[in-house]
Amino acid sequence: MTAHQINKWGLVLFALFTLAAPFILPLFIDAFWVDIYSEMLIWSLLAASVNLLFGYVGLLSFGQALFFGMGMYGVAIGVAKLGLGFWPALGLGIVLSTAMSAFAGALAVRLTWHYFAIITVVFSLIFYFTALSWKPLTGGDDGLSFSMPPMLTWGEDGELSLTDPTVQYYFIITMVGLCYVLMGVILKSPLGWAFRTVRENAMRASLIGLNVYLIRLTAFIVAGFIAGMAGALFAFFGRYASASYMFYHVSGEAVVWAIIGGAGTLLGPVVGTSLLIMLREELSTLWEHYLLLVGVIVILVVVFAPKGIGGLWHGLINRIAKPAPDAVDVKDGEDRS
Amino acid sequence: MELVIALGMNGIVWGLIIALIALGLSIIFGLLDIINIAHGDFFMVGTVLAWAVFEGTGNYWLAFAIVPIIGFGLGALIEYAVIQPIKNAAALSIVATFGLSIILQESVRATYGAAPSRLTAPIETTIPLFGLEYEVYRLFAAFISVVAIVAFFIFLHRTKMGTWMRAVRYDPETATAMGIPARRVYQITFAIGFAMAALGGVVAGPITTVDFQAGVDVLPFCFMAVIIGGLGNLEGTVAAAVMLAFFEGVMASFADPTMARIGSLCLMSLVLLIRPHGIFSGATR
Repeated sequence: MTAHQINKWGLVLFALFTLAAPFILPLFIDAFWVDIYSEMLIWSLLAASVNLLFGYVGLLSFGQALFFGMGMYGVAIGVAKLGLGFWPALGLGIVLSTAMSAFAGALAVRLTWHYFAIITVVFSLIFYFTALSWKPLTGGDDGLSFSMPPMLTWGEDGELSLTDPTVQYYFIITMVGLCYVLMGVILKSPLGWAFRTVRENAMRASLIGLNVYLIRLTAFIVAGFIAGMAGALFAFFGRYASASYMFYHVSGEAVVWAIIGGAGTLLGPVVGTSLLIMLREELSTLWEHYLLLVGVIVILVVVFAPKGIGGLWHGLINRIAKPAPDAVDVKDGEDRS
Repeated sequence: MELVIALGMNGIVWGLIIALIALGLSIIFGLLDIINIAHGDFFMVGTVLAWAVFEGTGNYWLAFAIVPIIGFGLGALIEYAVIQPIKNAAALSIVATFGLSIILQESVRATYGAAPSRLTAPIETTIPLFGLEYEVYRLFAAFISVVAIVAFFIFLHRTKMGTWMRAVRYDPETATAMGIPARRVYQITFAIGFAMAALGGVVAGPITTVDFQAGVDVLPFCFMAVIIGGLGNLEGTVAAAVMLAFFEGVMASFADPTMARIGSLCLMSLVLLIRPHGIFSGATR
């Protein structure tokens, strides 16, 4: 099998596992792992939004928690304060986070590298402190909880709601799946290649006629949308929103997940997020100070696998797999035209 | 009016302490290209070590001498174990120092405990100043910070190691070719950065609380000072730290502290957008 085929089959297996998880997982381990699995998938979206910016456009954002928070508060405030239904609240969360990313991005992408990282932290801190002090609306540190509105109602008392764990699980994986498909499509499109061009050399990109500012802004808005979706799903998942999820530590964790998983690979963030959340869930019951181990593991991965677990994986399958036909051509120096 | 003066004074004192810590961040950033997420925790380790020295010996003054030395040793060790292997790659440095930050916070939580405590200042008298009774310890804290900052600049400009540090920063390859042991310079720079943050912790200990999460609040402030002052502009870092803290102190006398924080963050984003290379960028180079 070629490396490409191995990856494709791996992806199919992963998708099948995800679809069947509510039935398979309880057979082997505690059923609460189904919940943890959906939580992992939600957080992986936040890591994916970091990865989209850092891995593909070369912008290191330390403020993705801002858009996560906007999605989260959009849903929570929509339901608890404005009395919105399920879908309008979801819409509000997405619109808020996307609008915020358009506003913040228009200012932030004028800067790059260290300056970009700092200004994204500053923006997210401004809104973190705002959310913290605006208690009547956001509940501040105590947070804002709400009761779940139904997704769909029919007849007398027929309704579909996330209070049913199966419905909740499939709703979450559908939304998460759609986001990954969206990212996959964008990254394969000419826009996705423009992203990579800007990452490799912004100067050359602008010389061949690409509008670097607009490309960075587009990526920033898409990433904001993805992070906002993660936040909205997380609010539904926990029926709760809190300012603490907007703190820069949350953004930092997302950066760590993305880089540990492998920046610049589509599914790296899923791997990194799952690994670290699994570690947390497993170790926290065994040892109170398990975070010491997490810190050591993070450092070990960075030292021994600087390209992350995604990089390790690519190295491994390229070694065991048959080289792809076109790769042979290039090696033999044959003219393929 | 008295409140404005008091909070403004507190702002300047706090700003000088932050300047000392941020200077450590700035040299690590400037010389090693390491974005040190754990720098706030270096400060926190300083406060906890100061607490430990006080608990152990009953003499707070000893902490001023002992803690920076321990900090220097820890810094050298961490540079060897964590920073050297990642070879100054800035993106990886964020992740590695994030791991480091987790380890430092958790080891303090495991040993010192999770409950914050307060240290009593070694000088408890007050003197009249600008029409109010001001704590002498705060003046002393400002004094120590200034002395440490000045000593660092003298070290940087008057000693061989300081000259090496500037040379390696300017051009590491040429410096290595000229026989400067760049690796050792990196290690000592990182260790000095840790020592400065730890000294900041000792100085600030009696003013703030001793808490394993204390670094989380200090870190963004230090980064702001470094960026507003201009990357690599050490004098700018000091000036920016004092100005930011003074501004926040004065703001805090009109609005609540959170509002003051939001105000200084907005000011910070304006500076970044209008003068991304720092407010002093016209003055140097």
